[in-house]
Amino acid sequence: MTTTPATAPTNLRRVPLVKRFLTFTWLTIGLAALVLVGFAFVQPSIVVDTFVTGGMWALMAAGLALVFGVMNIPNFAHGEFFMIGSLVAYFVFTPINNAVYNDPSGTTLLKIFGPFPGMVIAALVGFAIGAVLEVILFRPLRRRSREQWVMNTFLLTAGISVVLVNGDELIFGNDFRGASRYWDVPPLQILGVSVSMDRAAVFVIAMVTILLFSLFLLRTRTGRAMRAVAQDEAGAQMAGISLNRIFVLTMGLSCGLAALAGASLLWLYPSSPTVGQQPLYLAWYVVILAGLGNVQGAIIGAFIVSLLQTVTVYYVGVDWVDVLPTLFIIVILLFKPSGLFGSEVKGVWEQ
Amino acid sequence: MATVIDKTTPSRDEAKAFARRRMIFAAVLVAIAILIPFVPPFTGQDYKRFLVTGALMAAYAVAFDFTAGYIDIVNFGFAAFVGLGAYTSGLLAVDLGISPWIGMFCGALVAAVVGLLTGMLTLRLRGIYAAVMAWFVGLALMGLVRTLPNITRGSLGLSTPQLLNTADNLPYYYIVLGMLFLTIGILMIVIHSRIGLAFRAIGQNLASAKASGINPTRFLVINFTLSCAFAGLLGGFYAHYYGILTPDLLATNHTVEVLAVAYIGGRGTLWGPAVIAFPLMVITGLLQAQLASMPGLELVLYGLLLIAVMIFRPAGFAGLVTAASNRIWKARTEAPDSAIPAS
Repeated sequence: MTTTPATAPTNLRRVPLVKRFLTFTWLTIGLAALVLVGFAFVQPSIVVDTFVTGGMWALMAAGLALVFGVMNIPNFAHGEFFMIGSLVAYFVFTPINNAVYNDPSGTTLLKIFGPFPGMVIAALVGFAIGAVLEVILFRPLRRRSREQWVMNTFLLTAGISVVLVNGDELIFGNDFRGASRYWDVPPLQILGVSVSMDRAAVFVIAMVTILLFSLFLLRTRTGRAMRAVAQDEAGAQMAGISLNRIFVLTMGLSCGLAALAGASLLWLYPSSPTVGQQPLYLAWYVVILAGLGNVQGAIIGAFIVSLLQTVTVYYVGVDWVDVLPTLFIIVILLFKPSGLFGSEVKGVWEQ
Repeated sequence: MATVIDKTTPSRDEAKAFARRRMIFAAVLVAIAILIPFVPPFTGQDYKRFLVTGALMAAYAVAFDFTAGYIDIVNFGFAAFVGLGAYTSGLLAVDLGISPWIGMFCGALVAAVVGLLTGMLTLRLRGIYAAVMAWFVGLALMGLVRTLPNITRGSLGLSTPQLLNTADNLPYYYIVLGMLFLTIGILMIVIHSRIGLAFRAIGQNLASAKASGINPTRFLVINFTLSCAFAGLLGGFYAHYYGILTPDLLATNHTVEVLAVAYIGGRGTLWGPAVIAFPLMVITGLLQAQLASMPGLELVLYGLLLIAVMIFRPAGFAGLVTAASNRIWKARTEAPDSAIPAS
């Protein structure tokens, strides 16, 4: 209904500053920020919860947005990498945890750094599986036909999701595999709210990863190449960028981020075949809300979705957490179909 | 006769012959569907149950293919509309004592109304956006069913009365087969009408459809609503065949199953998904029964098949059949005059 005209970015500078920020997008962000500041006085735990879960959704959504932006693949199997991450983390962390329990005296080092091997290995496994899928599935499809690419890859990833979920059930069964906690220490006090060490760590991990990820995209040659491919594939190729290399890297990176999210949240989401479903649709809420393919927008959008969730849980009830945010997002999208930060996306999805 | 081997547009005679061939093919399939419960392995109750699920899945896949294959809108909330019809019909029967036979059509009506609203809101968007919005609506509906346990009994499950007072699956098979024929018949008629022409125009090339004076949103909404109505009707059958409803019925993975069947069968044909659903569901049922120790195996195979179809054979099963029958036909008509192998 109210998509920004394609020429908007070029004459952005001529628009008065006040007017530029009086758009629907900035109003929404401003409102969200205001609500957060308000809650900091009334109910600080909402603010803390928003940032803790928001960080993880940002990790999920950034990967999803990256793959759409660079490769035009709307990944329906993104949640399955969350599942893979939590599974790997479980198998790596459990022996370490047992070692700590069996020898509680001399393993302070293991107590502090124990959870990290699981997370790192999970991210690497996620990277590897994502890269392999690009080579054995998306590349043949790309070579055969790019007609209706967006929809076809969406359905292809739906197939991948079915295989991974049921493959997990087939191999590992329907059990829940989790860890009660990563760090067995008393909770921290933030804003007068007690926050468990795990929650705080998750937030720090998310922020550090997003920072590194942004630096990679903005400052390195490969990151620049990735953004070039996202902007214009043919042009990037002419400039000597190997598309295949970038695609493998992008898919791997995105899946690795999802796996890292799954590994970091093992204590909250015990691994089971369907554990990836909620993170999947939350990441999708974020990405659609922010505008498909917009990585920075996805990071802000993640905190908006997380705020919606947290407020629903606190004031309406935990049962409504699947209903109200969804309806709210649908309403926002009615006013802004291309997402809060989306520009004209016609070219991408109608090709 | 051998002078023209490859013609792009068939002559009137050829078109007639093609139509006759198609009629014979359809008649054979219908006869097989009607008679199969009397052929030995299928006489057992287990196999009859597989046939019922096969026919139900076939009807789902046809209704799904009506939007996915013709107007290129993949309704990711399909299972939610099935569930909506099922819950409507089930609740009417449980709370108000309304006969399931009427309830099923009420379910179809409710699904159609919600489908109409969803369509009016989301079908201004296209492609991936419409698919994802339909998915979100489906998620919201599933959340609602879960959140209102005093109405829907939530995850405890709603027990619904059976359609018939019998333990035999055979009458149910004929009812669902009748529903399948009704679905495929009505949707075929629509597809071959002027409205159907508009659907295909929109699905193939939106810009040129607009240029020839078609209002795309209107036709998209008509199509979507019709598909949702059939989803609701079939949901009503589900409710009164299985006798228990849980919010899980509305989950996205059921949509993906229907989607897999529709695409493996061949998008945009209606008959392809309907035909392939039977063998797929019978094999699924057998695998589930034989390999209880390996849960999820049949779905892994499904997923692999869907991936293979998406990459290598986008025309699916229907495409294979069409190609094979064309080859046989060509070989038969050309053989007397020329020795050129038709390949």
